Amino acid sequence: MQARNNAPAAGAVDPTLALDLSAITAESRKLASAITPNSGPWDVIVVGSGAAGGMAAFQLAMSGIKVLLLEAGRMIDGQKEYRTMEWPYQSMRRHRLPVDERPLAVAEYNFVDRPYGKDPKFEKYKKLTSYAGNAFTHNWVVNEKEHPTTGTPYAWVRARVLGGKTNFWGRGALRYGPLQFKAASLDGFDVDWPIGYEDVAPYYDQVDRLLGCSGTMEGLQQVPDGVFQRPTKLNCVEVSFKRAIAKMGRHFIPGRAGVTTDGVLNNKYRTKCMGRGRCGRGCDLNAAFHSPTALIYPARDTGHVTVRPYSVVSEVLLDAQTNKASGVRVTDMNTREVMDFKARVVILGAGCLDTTRILLNSKSARYPTGMGNSSDVLGRYLSEHLMGIRGSGFIPTRIGTEPTIDDARPVGPYVPRFRNVTDKHPDFIRGYHFQGGGGASEFPGYAADIAGFGKGFKSNVRKYYPALLSLGGFGEVLPVKENRVTLDPEAKDAWGVPVLKFDFKFGDNEKKMALDMADSIEEMLKAAGAEDIRIGREVLPEGWSIHEVGTARMGTDPKTSVTDKYCRLHDVPNVYLADASPFVSGGTQNTTWSILAMCWRTMDFLKEEMRTGRA
Amino acid sequence: MAKTSVTRRAALRSLGAGAGAIAVLPWLSDEGAQAFAAMQRTGARPALKALTAPQYATLDVLVDAIIPTDERSPGARQARVADYIDLLLSETDAETRQQWVDGLAAVDTEATTRAGAAVVKLSAPQLEGLLTEISRNERQPQTAAERFFVMTKRATIQGYYSSEIGIHKDLRYKGNQFLPEFHGCQTVDGKDCPHCGQKAVV
Repeated sequence: MQARNNAPAAGAVDPTLALDLSAITAESRKLASAITPNSGPWDVIVVGSGAAGGMAAFQLAMSGIKVLLLEAGRMIDGQKEYRTMEWPYQSMRRHRLPVDERPLAVAEYNFVDRPYGKDPKFEKYKKLTSYAGNAFTHNWVVNEKEHPTTGTPYAWVRARVLGGKTNFWGRGALRYGPLQFKAASLDGFDVDWPIGYEDVAPYYDQVDRLLGCSGTMEGLQQVPDGVFQRPTKLNCVEVSFKRAIAKMGRHFIPGRAGVTTDGVLNNKYRTKCMGRGRCGRGCDLNAAFHSPTALIYPARDTGHVTVRPYSVVSEVLLDAQTNKASGVRVTDMNTREVMDFKARVVILGAGCLDTTRILLNSKSARYPTGMGNSSDVLGRYLSEHLMGIRGSGFIPTRIGTEPTIDDARPVGPYVPRFRNVTDKHPDFIRGYHFQGGGGASEFPGYAADIAGFGKGFKSNVRKYYPALLSLGGFGEVLPVKENRVTLDPEAKDAWGVPVLKFDFKFGDNEKKMALDMADSIEEMLKAAGAEDIRIGREVLPEGWSIHEVGTARMGTDPKTSVTDKYCRLHDVPNVYLADASPFVSGGTQNTTWSILAMCWRTMDFLKEEMRTGRA
Repeated sequence: MAKTSVTRRAALRSLGAGAGAIAVLPWLSDEGAQAFAAMQRTGARPALKALTAPQYATLDVLVDAIIPTDERSPGARQARVADYIDLLLSETDAETRQQWVDGLAAVDTEATTRAGAAVVKLSAPQLEGLLTEISRNERQPQTAAERFFVMTKRATIQGYYSSEIGIHKDLRYKGNQFLPEFHGCQTVDGKDCPHCGQKAVV
């Protein structure tokens, strides 16, 4: 116990919440002021530094192409900011936010009027974050007061810092397969992607090799295998569950994680996973994929990448003579100075919705409703994953046993999609998967549900501690034309950029799918003989999955799509999209690994265009 | 769907439930947090910030009755749960603070009605009887004392199981350390598992 007693010395400020970020912000300001439109020339401008921007910059830099990487937030000091192993009692606030900050609560998304930050009840808070704001992420996620949205409720999680959301993403690294790319051919709804799994598979393989992906070979078409490093294993309660649902023809497989469990030889900033199980706080070993250490620092080391932080991009500039983008307009986050940076090619990787917002705001005589929007498709077909349906129970084999180490791994196991794979469900199309896991974890979240008090209560908390198994669903949200974002005609963010107005709601297919999700999780927990089964049937607010895709969909026909099959705008041929905005549909899989693979593919195409002088 | 099925009223209700949690878990200032850290380090009596000495004494009795010392580990008193709640209350809004003050009074009233003495004066069986009474409708508390029980229990769970005593001594949580390899259920490696009793081959 002594070794763990790291209570701060008298007078120390809270180690979690009062991080001294002055050095990294000073460095960021210095970089920003040093890099002006005259600091170039650059061949390519990349907007955003998350999975998309990081991969774009990396691929281009490795080929000797000069890149200007623009990040809206500051640089990051991972060694200081990733507080991976901190115990709650080390933080005097037990990992709660400071008194003047607060995240939005789940119910508030639906009944507080938009913009959320305008509600008088939040006046006393200096910073109001999305639900994803916590002691570990609060310096990265945006302030809703500075970054408003309007329209229908939407839990939009944004991070403005080098690496964006890759600093705290869930590490779920799943591939799309033929069921996603050719979904329309299978069920007749909407359209297929203009490419197939065979086009992207080699890039998934390369991403696995470059970044490291943990998983097991399963041979399932609904979630194709990859080039895997050491897999995680199922713990005791998970094995019980796996055996039970195997009888129903369903799978429960070790989670696939964008984490290097064997190490990567190509990167001096990363080391292999040591099973602390705290990836979502940022991994101070950088075993987990973070864009800065995995992609941006190595790219910068080539000497071909200039990173400019505090660069808020408001629009892509059009050269009316050539119908090509000439560069982007940047507002410096601190000085508010407006600058135009120029390059031959512009790549947007600001995240699906911010990329869309930049394009919608890139208005010109030729494209009065936004660049890439000749089809009126830009902003439409917004999709993500339906969340909230969940279930838990206590697995008898571990009730009353001594706890083991059950959570020492990046992600828990996974029930791959089983609906509409080989059969056809009568009520809905497409499908869903479950993620979760079981066994002992640091905080016994179920304790409040155990009745009573005293020694009996306390020993019951211990009795069930190793036995909990819980799973949550991710369901495909059908891409429909009516689900869209537009620019709000009036509301602007703190830098004067028009904000997104959401018009997005889950539809009938999602409703029916949610019912089946709840029934099927209950059925599986019963099959596993679980005690005290609890099923959550309430869907979480729209946006919760942080898996938004599709608002600049790809296709072969410029009348019905925004980009071609290489994620290049039909309208303006030197603008490429590197994030999930061109995805035609979202499947049930977490999007990060697909963003990385698709971006690599796009960059290979772009490099060839540049080499041959076409771009 | 959330929108169509969650009426504004339902949302308010569910926020109300959430507000219960928020109510006992406001955010701490540096000063407050440091005071708490100092208390934990030195084992000193707290310099109370929100509660009066009698209110604190009542709360301390209640939290320790909810999670007492047993053969395995110390209870909520030694984990300084009442101190933690006092500090949190010192920085929450006046309304929440008042809820707690009223709740403490309600429990004392209940104790006096039942046993003729305030909470701090109750014998062990009397205290047990009182808590049995006010925890009876835990799932759907009706009276002020019942609601206060639920609030206090939640805060106690939060404070106790995030403490060093709760995590390491009581739950014997073993994770969050450097492990080059994860050992799951032994059946995964083809052996019978001593932890769960499952056989390698089914």
